[in-house]
Amino acid sequence: MTFYAENGKSVVHRMNPWTKGALLAIVILMAVITEDLVLLAALYVATLFFYAAGRLPVRLLAGWYALPVFFVFTIAVLFIFTEPGDPLASVELLGKRISITDSGLLLIVTLLVRALSVVTFSLSLFMTTRYSHMAHLVSKTLPRPLANVFLLSYRFNFETSDEISDVVDAVHSRNGNMVRGATKQTRMFAGIFGLSFVHAFERAERIAKAMESRGFAGEFPRVEDLPRPSYSGYALVSLAVVALVIVTYSRYISDLIGWW
Amino acid sequence: MAHVHLEDGAFTIEWVALWTLIAAALIAVALYRLGGYSIPTRKLAIAAMCVAVGFAIFQIEIPIFGGVHINLTPLIGILVGPSLGSLAVLVINMFGAAIGHGGWGMIGANSIVNIAEVFLGYLIYRHLRTSWNASRFFSAFSATAVALTVSAVLALVIISISGIQGSTQGEEETFANLLIMAAANIATGLVEAVVTGYIVSFIGKVRPDLLETAEGQRKIEPTDSHQEAEPVV
Repeated sequence: MTFYAENGKSVVHRMNPWTKGALLAIVILMAVITEDLVLLAALYVATLFFYAAGRLPVRLLAGWYALPVFFVFTIAVLFIFTEPGDPLASVELLGKRISITDSGLLLIVTLLVRALSVVTFSLSLFMTTRYSHMAHLVSKTLPRPLANVFLLSYRFNFETSDEISDVVDAVHSRNGNMVRGATKQTRMFAGIFGLSFVHAFERAERIAKAMESRGFAGEFPRVEDLPRPSYSGYALVSLAVVALVIVTYSRYISDLIGWW
Repeated sequence: MAHVHLEDGAFTIEWVALWTLIAAALIAVALYRLGGYSIPTRKLAIAAMCVAVGFAIFQIEIPIFGGVHINLTPLIGILVGPSLGSLAVLVINMFGAAIGHGGWGMIGANSIVNIAEVFLGYLIYRHLRTSWNASRFFSAFSATAVALTVSAVLALVIISISGIQGSTQGEEETFANLLIMAAANIATGLVEAVVTGYIVSFIGKVRPDLLETAEGQRKIEPTDSHQEAEPVV
């Protein structure tokens, strides 16, 4: 993620982070408020277009989709069968006939499109925004203690992930991936995770001392200030806000967009 | 997974707002208990490293029972206490939302479930260690098992009363639909409980001082006054 964020040169990379942040908030609200599947599909296509405009790899996006798809299915899979609607297909299970209903299928597709729209835009934001800009955004939007924890851990997330992956690779290279019973496997992974926590605490203590010796006074200095969004950035956010207002009005007050 | 994270769009905006407000209140209490804006640097760094390790560990699959992912939120509670642990799980949820491991709008609901895990993990472990003098493995195992069971039920209750957006089913039907998910989470939680038991035993051997938050500082009783006066080199 940081590689693409720091080295990319696309139009999305050049976009003001405030504009991208505001658009993310609007995409989240649109995904939550919009009910029409066609409109949600349009939102999803728009986020895909945004991702592509950032010249980010599609293969990577498919990999990132595994988790949200898994979570949506975990929560909603039974609704495919239990949601009242016209049966599309049925199977007999333990002497009982269960059917996939059209409403159940529609529900799970809608939930998937909602989740993937937000994930796609969120990844686009994080993969096209440099750390220094992210630090500025976070320090301006979150309460200071939370911003400090966020920024400190943001820097060490990738390093820690690499460190743990290296240990797991080392275990695998020594035939540690062979199944030798649940107890032995559990004990081995507990050792890896325990060691990671011990290292993390030792590193945290060193970092704290280093920060204090450099005069840390509760707030990280910002090395780079962010300029205001451009006029085109304001225009883009304004358009998105208008779309959000229309969708909200249509859902809660009077239907403006159900004409198709 | 030991617990399920909700994705954006699962709840209506009213429920998203409600759970966000409740989570914000819990975080405000945690911040207040930590001293507001004057949290010591060491605590900040420890919370940040817990986030980094917690976030990294959930990406690793343990090859038992077909592959299990764990989050170790009760362990975070045992190591750093409920207040700092609450901040840590909130930030883990923010990072998770960035990559689709839970939604941005669902950070509130997901954090409430995780804060319950952190809080119960710490409280039960502390009680078992200090009042019952139970072993580290047993205390950590029990604390994690209970915390994850309660959090699975809590997640079930949150989803049932909020309702899945777009579904026409009521609270009871939604509850029934999600019972299998909760049962699977509780079963996986038992694996996480065993792992946490081993981790705490391991940490207790190599760095017992890291468990002082939950266990309290052990007093070394001097055998006689002569030994007490003599400095140990």
